Formats: sequence, C-alpha cells, structure tokens
Amino acid sequence: MKLYDNRAWFLVLPALVIVTLVGILPLIAVTNYSFQDLFTLNNPYWVGVDWYRNIVTSERFYASLGRSFLFSVIVLSVQLPLGIWIALLLQRSNQFIVSTVLVLITVPLVVPWNMIPVIWLNFINPNAGLAGRLLTWLGVGFDYKFNALHTWIVLVVMDTWHWLGLVVVLAYAGISSIPPAYYQAAAVDAASQWQVFRFIQLPKMKTVLSMAVLLRFMDSFMIYIEAFRINAGGPDSATAFLSLDLGEEILSFNYGPSAARSIVYFLIVLAVAWTFKAATSARAPTEELTT
Amino acid sequence: MKPPSSWGRIALFAVIGVFILVPLAQTIITSFVSTLPRGGIAEGHFSLVNYQNILHSAALKDSIVNSIIYVVLNVALCLGVGLPAAYAFARYNFAGDRQLFFLLLVFRITPTVVLSLPIFVLFAQIGLANTPVGIALVHCVFNIPISIWILEGFISAVPRELDETAFLDGHSLPSFFFRHLIPAIAPGIGVAAFFCFIFSWVEVVLARILTTTGGKPITMAINGLFGFRTDFGLVMAMTVLAVVPGIAMIYFVRHHLAKGFVIRT
Repeated sequence: MKLYDNRAWFLVLPALVIVTLVGILPLIAVTNYSFQDLFTLNNPYWVGVDWYRNIVTSERFYASLGRSFLFSVIVLSVQLPLGIWIALLLQRSNQFIVSTVLVLITVPLVVPWNMIPVIWLNFINPNAGLAGRLLTWLGVGFDYKFNALHTWIVLVVMDTWHWLGLVVVLAYAGISSIPPAYYQAAAVDAASQWQVFRFIQLPKMKTVLSMAVLLRFMDSFMIYIEAFRINAGGPDSATAFLSLDLGEEILSFNYGPSAARSIVYFLIVLAVAWTFKAATSARAPTEELTT
Repeated sequence: MKPPSSWGRIALFAVIGVFILVPLAQTIITSFVSTLPRGGIAEGHFSLVNYQNILHSAALKDSIVNSIIYVVLNVALCLGVGLPAAYAFARYNFAGDRQLFFLLLVFRITPTVVLSLPIFVLFAQIGLANTPVGIALVHCVFNIPISIWILEGFISAVPRELDETAFLDGHSLPSFFFRHLIPAIAPGIGVAAFFCFIFSWVEVVLARILTTTGGKPITMAINGLFGFRTDFGLVMAMTVLAVVPGIAMIYFVRHHLAKGFVIRT
C-alpha cells in the first residue's frame, strides 16, 4: 500500500526541471513558431493557421502519413510475434543459452543509428556484400535503388535486425515475472500449450508488451536517418515517410511550416499514446478476471 | 503450438545468431581491409591501416572522447534525478502522480526532430551549443523517463520494511539512499544506466543539430567521412569502435537485462 504524501513532489522536482528545460519549453516554442512566418527568428510575422491549412489540404501529407503508418504496421506485425516467440523459446532454455541469445540479439541496439544503414548497404552491395553476392549467385535480380518493393524489404529487414532485441528483452521480462504456481495450476488442469500461452503468459506480459508496441510504433513511425541513407525516400517517393518530409523542410530553413508540421506530428503521437493508454487500462479489470 | 525439441530450439537460435552476426562480421572484416590506395598499401589487402588512420586523426580521436564525455554525463544526470523520482513514484501517491508519469512517457516517445529547432535556438542563447554538456542535457528528454520507469520497477520489488527500519534507525533520506536503497537495487541501477547509455550513444538527430561547429560526437565524425571518395575501411573501423563500448555494457548487465522491465500490474 502506498502512502499519500504530497511532499513526494520534491523528489520528482529535479527530474521535472530538466524535462521542462529540454522538453516542455521547446514544445511551447515550436507551437509559437508554427503560427508565424519566420525569415529569421527575430522577424516573426503572424500568419495564423495558414501552415496548418497547407498541411491538411496537401495530398503529399496524406501520402507520407499513409506510408509511415503502413511501415509501422508491417514492422510491428513482423517483430512482435517473432519477439514473443523467441522469448517463449528462451523461457524453456537454460541460463547459459538465455544469456548468450540476449547478449547477441541486443548488440544491434548499441549501433549508432546512422551506422545501421551503412552496415546494411555494405552487406547488400552486389559487388562486395555477402548478401548482395548471394542474391546475384542465386540469380535474384535484387535492386533496392529502383525497385520500390525491394527498398521496402531492405528497410523492414534492417529495422527488424536493429530492434528485435528490444522486443525480445521486453517480452522475456514479462514471461520471467510469472510465478511458477501459475504453471503448476495449469498443469493440474491439463491445460494445452496454447491455453497456457493464451490465458497465462499473454495476459501477464500485457504491460510490458503494450510498452513494446508503443516504443516500436513510435520509433518506426519516425524512422528518418535509416530510410534517408538507404534511398533518400526513393524510388519515386515510395519510401518518403512523414519524418523525411519534415527533415527536408527543416533543412531548407522553412521554420514556420516545419514547426506546424512538427506540431501535427506531435499531436498524432499524443493521440496514439492516449488511445493506447485508454485501451490498455480499460481492459485491465476483465483481463484480471480471466487469469 | 507444438514445443520444439531442444535441438530444434538450438537450430532456431543459430539462425537468429547468423542473422544478427553476419552483417556485423562483414563490417569487422571491411574495417581490416584497405579500401583506398593510401600509405603504400594496395586496395583490398588485409591491414591495420584504418585503425592507424584513426589514431593519426585528431578529429576522430576527439570525437570518441566527446561521445564518452556526454554519455557519461547523461547517465549520471539521469540516474541522479531519476532515482529520487522513481522512489517517489514507487512509494507514494501524490497529487498528479499519474498525469506526471504519462507526461514523462509522452516525452520518451516524442520524435526528437520535433524538438530539435527550438532546442538549438534555446541552447545557442545560453551557450550550451557545441558542448558535450548540451547534448548530455538534451538526451535527458528521453532518458529520464526510461531511467524512472526501470528504477521504479526495481524499487517496488524491495519490501517497504527496508525503508521503515532504516528510518527508525535514524537514517535521513539521503543516508538511506546511499547506505540501503542503492546497494539493494544495484542491478537495477546497472540496467537503467545501460539503457540510458545506449539511447544516448546511438542518438543522431539532436547530436547533429547541437554540434554544427565543435564538440562533434562519433556519430557526426563518421558522417563527415563520407565524401567524393569515401574510405569505407575507415568508416567501418570507426563503426566497430563505436559498437565496442556498447557490447562491453551488454556483457556486464546480461543477467539483469530482462528484469529491468518487470512492472507490477
């Protein structure tokens, strides 16, 4: 049972001061910029909601938004089941295998983000790369530069290589927190493997998995440097995600429009996080009953 | 769902291992190959020339030092403010605690590119641009939430009696933190430090915007190596060096990695 004590605020205060400085204040500033035309930052000219109107009436915006959502959905539907499956297999392995697999699978997480596409471009290079040579040898005409489907495959495989470790760590954290008594009870009831998974493991993993979904959704939704390096949004805008449009705008010093775009972007993130939080906490009591 | 036999499982893990390792292996191999005719060594031969070139370049060496400074600062900062906050969330209810927790979560998932422009303007005004201190502070926006989340889980797992006996023994809050709480959750601090470390080490967008002229981290130094005739061997050697500290961190926290995210439901 937790005590109710408002003095606990003092313990949170230092963290809050820093988050205000590097998070809340910049957010307020972006909001301000988004209503201005800024030739230089000292010469603002109030334009109201013009930039927002431009965004929501442009077809390009909806196309990028759709591509970003599609990418996140594909990435999640590959990495989440795969990650859970690996975690389930790990749970039945001994300590040595668990440590080895966890160490291996988390290595790509410590590679700087701008290096990931460099490593992969080297890997799939048809002249020097192992994967590139293998594909040529197999007679597969693989062309990530000019074939949109191939660019997407490279991005999804690369992203899975990069992030699978986080999903596995989170899923494994959820599974290993289940007390053995649950499994014993399931064994007494002669529950099948699938029933154990569906009614014990999945509900118990719910909190960490929802975090995994949220983190993976957001990080894939804002994929920037990886997609930029692989094909700079090409071929023919097939991988021009929302973040690439935004990056382009910032680089061309369109402060006002890019600020408005940032806010739209932020609101999408906020809406998804909020919906997600509402959905997972609303389901909690019924999930409790089924376990 | 049929449980695979232990050999089947090992074969599956081997496939995953190959998938993870082969791109890395090729990176390491390329880092030992001379890719530009330089220093009297022909192209395509095994050599240590790339690593020697790093040692001869002041800019590349500085970038490694810069990266280490800001990551260490960031980890210290996040643990320093994260620990008391995590303790507050774990032990007390207070006005607005839920909303505050959600607010922190929102900043973990806010795309960094959204904040990059005003952060640059703000930091240029207060003289923090182009310094490792500036990057260390900026990375707090996503690392403080992570450290609070992980530490809160570990503190909640410690029985309340630990606090109560310590306070009855006359410990003040800081002395309780250092004598009892920190030793009790040492693995948790390791895991939190690990995740703060990696997210700060790999971040690119904010690090780039804050180091336009000086104080460049490894990530930006690597970007600078691309040009008309890119020395890929050198790029790969820097990449290998950039991954080594992370792998060392993983090795130290390997037994506790997964425990970091256990939260009470």
